[in-house]
Amino acid sequence: MTDKKLGVYICACGGNISDYVDIEKVKEAIKEEDCVFLAKTTMFACGDSNQKEMESDIKENNLSGIVVASCSPKLHLNTFRAVSERAGLNKYNYVHANIREQASWAHSDDKIGATEKAIHIVKAAIAKARYSQSLFPIKIESEKSVAVIGAGVAGLKASLALSKMGDKVYLIERENKVGGKLTTLGKVFPSDIQGNDFVRRLEEEVKKENNITLITNAKIEKCTGNIGHFQIVVATDKGENRNENKHEEIDVGSILVATGFESYRPQDGEFGYKNVNNVITLPEFRDLLRENNGHKNLLYNNSKIKSLAFIYCVGSRQIRGENKYCSRYCCSAAMNTSLELKEKYSDVQIYHFTKGVRTYGAQELMYAEACRKGDIFIQYPDKEEPVVNKDGDHVVVRAKDILTSKREIEVLADLVVLITGMVPDSDKSLGSMLKLPRGRDNFFNEIHVKLRPVETVIDGITIAGTCQGPKGVMESVNSALSAAVKSHSFVSKGELELPPIVAHVDTTTCSWCDACSKACPFNAINMTEVNNGKVAEINSTTCKGCGMCLPVCPSDSIELTSFTNKEIESMIDILAS
Amino acid sequence: MGTINKLQFDALVIGGGIAGGETALNLANNGYKVAIIEKELSIGGKMILLSKVFPTLDCSACITTPKVSEISRHPNITIFTESNVESIEKKSEYDFTTFVSRRPRYVIAEDCTGCQLCEKSCPVIVKDEYQFNLIGRKAVFIPFSIASPKVAAVDMENCILCGACEKICPSNCIDFTQEEREYEINSKTVIIATGFNLADPEKMDRYGKGLFRNVLTSMQMERQLAPTRPYNTVLRPGDGKVPDKIAYVLCAGSRDDSAGNPICSQICCMYSIKQAQLLMGALPMADVTLYYIDIRAFGKGYDEFYEQARGMGVKFVKGKIGKISELPNGNLILRYEDIQSGKIKETEHDMVVLSVGTLANREAPSLFKGIAPKVDDQSFILQDDPILSPAKTTVKGVFVAGTASGPKDIPDSILSAGSAAAEVISYINQKQ
Repeated sequence: MTDKKLGVYICACGGNISDYVDIEKVKEAIKEEDCVFLAKTTMFACGDSNQKEMESDIKENNLSGIVVASCSPKLHLNTFRAVSERAGLNKYNYVHANIREQASWAHSDDKIGATEKAIHIVKAAIAKARYSQSLFPIKIESEKSVAVIGAGVAGLKASLALSKMGDKVYLIERENKVGGKLTTLGKVFPSDIQGNDFVRRLEEEVKKENNITLITNAKIEKCTGNIGHFQIVVATDKGENRNENKHEEIDVGSILVATGFESYRPQDGEFGYKNVNNVITLPEFRDLLRENNGHKNLLYNNSKIKSLAFIYCVGSRQIRGENKYCSRYCCSAAMNTSLELKEKYSDVQIYHFTKGVRTYGAQELMYAEACRKGDIFIQYPDKEEPVVNKDGDHVVVRAKDILTSKREIEVLADLVVLITGMVPDSDKSLGSMLKLPRGRDNFFNEIHVKLRPVETVIDGITIAGTCQGPKGVMESVNSALSAAVKSHSFVSKGELELPPIVAHVDTTTCSWCDACSKACPFNAINMTEVNNGKVAEINSTTCKGCGMCLPVCPSDSIELTSFTNKEIESMIDILAS
Repeated sequence: MGTINKLQFDALVIGGGIAGGETALNLANNGYKVAIIEKELSIGGKMILLSKVFPTLDCSACITTPKVSEISRHPNITIFTESNVESIEKKSEYDFTTFVSRRPRYVIAEDCTGCQLCEKSCPVIVKDEYQFNLIGRKAVFIPFSIASPKVAAVDMENCILCGACEKICPSNCIDFTQEEREYEINSKTVIIATGFNLADPEKMDRYGKGLFRNVLTSMQMERQLAPTRPYNTVLRPGDGKVPDKIAYVLCAGSRDDSAGNPICSQICCMYSIKQAQLLMGALPMADVTLYYIDIRAFGKGYDEFYEQARGMGVKFVKGKIGKISELPNGNLILRYEDIQSGKIKETEHDMVVLSVGTLANREAPSLFKGIAPKVDDQSFILQDDPILSPAKTTVKGVFVAGTASGPKDIPDSILSAGSAAAEVISYINQKQ
């Protein structure tokens, strides 16, 4: 047995745990365990006052290890590691026991069983804490530069902010021009300015920044490395002269992904699209408005448009399709387009077939304005979509209307506009190259939707704008600047500390069978020679400590710090007893 | 009055809620010195008082406390709780002078252990504002169990100076001689993160002016559902009965010209749907009905969360409540136009929750001497360049984060805080 002196804290989580787990009983059951010097229960282990108490307990009693039994380590592992550190105890001597997600919440129907399980979990954590070791972070230098991928509004704004904060920026764009979808928008609410004009302004600002290198017509071929040191190979297509692809290698400390969205493309026949003449999508309608600029009347295929039907939620909140999410921007985009249209062609009658209008916040004012201007709103039931058919030169849209007690409404329209939502970029290669996880909606996933919306589980990679989920322009900019400030904090100091939980090879027993390197998802294992024998070598800056290499090693030559065989076996012994 | 303490920071953040805190953290993590001025006794704003958050149903206390403790322990952040900004003046570019007065807590903060013996000894009971008046507190009290700092304070307006707390305090930290302290803070920039005010039910004639005993605000329901809930179950405050037919009145004080607020508050649909789901768990036999105009479930995972509530059996009725009246037994009659059937209906419920909206906190602009940031039609801080620089105000060097510039949910507040931090760093860098 070790001579560790452990402090154990059992958290009530304000009832989240103590409503189902008898935490006093847990305390009684573990307080006599070997090495346990003190055991306490607390209302909120994470609360400020308890953290203070833990600190003074560690200092006064010279504790050499700490266990907190509370929620998931995803929430509070770092909180309690920080407590240990402040008290002068190496943070890797802290062991987390999860008795909320794994006991109280999972077994709310069985209080006795939940308590019993919690006791086992805490005892196992104590067993691990007995063998815990002090570890020190791996220090690496970081490139003071960031690669921004995608030069839409989010990428442009993020690049400008990074440059102004003092970082070198590579702004990488696959098209031959910047601006992305913003160039296609008309007036951007709540301003009076056209999307195109915003793009011109941003382009000018980017040109003035010496820190920004803009690479257009670019394709990312390869990305390796880690936070602090990513190597990106970019191929640039020089256009007319074929075979003149240039390859450029870029070293950056962080990557900011701002690859944007695509507008949903309706399938043939969806709301009459492609099957019925005069049914187009919102982006197509915006193009039409631009091309029609200067005419007295709104023309489509040379005939005057007098009545228009907008059908909302096309490609969003789908009944049959995959896209269950709300695309957030489309209600306001439709309203904005309708108002812009009315300004130019006041005699056009617009019918909105909505599924409930979602003009949140101050966008409500646009909805109110559209109502005042005489637009007519029809709300179709959630499960009964409008039907679009051809009727001579017209299109007829039929729907039940909730707003008039489900009366059957028929609108004869000259043109039907499908208000299409946002879908993720169809080019999935970058996401898989960077190993970025996606959510149920297929957009890139953040670490925590509430509190960490621009960080990803891949250290050093942030996400901005609509590649994370549908957003309006202002929201994209806020997210871009947030991502920029996070990426900046990764690179601004020029030095980074990486967690020391990595795998180590015992070169005396390893005989290089290659099984570990095949199992490694991060390409962190290579062959090397020691005393003329081939052995595995692990790159500790690339290794994430995932442990995939351990079970495949036939000679048991790999150990993971902080999860050594001794620690894990002692936990299994307790849990199986 | 004593001497004025002079201090210097890179940035001064007004408001220690989630937006102000996140802005401060972003700046502090990049090496800037930040002062946070908070008028309440604890930082954490409204978020720290919530039950769970949508759409993840994370316990709000559980995800706020690590943030709050990171903020309060950061070596680059200095927090002034119980403090008022008296005036802000922009002397020149990168040169703001702010006068701050810190109210006495009558407790020596460094010595208080948060043992709560003073609370037990105090004979005075008044309404607890941190539990939105659902229960009482003492005249000497710790604001709430996860307050930061967790230090007692004497409410001098209600204290009868009996000295009981002073006698019982084991660390002798009650100090009735404390006086207000004055600070003159010089900073390069100012960030307004003063949050929002909740719409006041006392101004809603149609909904009983706050007089009906079993009509609560959503914030009161939030407290009833929180882990540190006052009654340890859901009760109607009028008579302590467990409710079994609960109604939510959405758009209470929003999308309503007659209430002076034509815009949508952006958060009420979602928090009501969340509370409805939590109520289904807390009171499995209860009926929960939401009366709405439109359901605005627009954020990531929100529409799915709305569908989940429908799947759980929460009832949604499209129709704005025109009038609430009270029956002798404390039950309530809701009168509304049921849009789906086109008929005027009246329905009885035994508890009603008003999903109150978010209104501008009008305080901040009035603090400025000389040029003050302009406000919009709803009195929110006006964004000077809303599309491309949402955090800029009409005064150079003054930025805005969170709901001070308009309604936002938590993710949008966090994003706006990051946005403000990026602008602040860029602004300070231009000087160097």
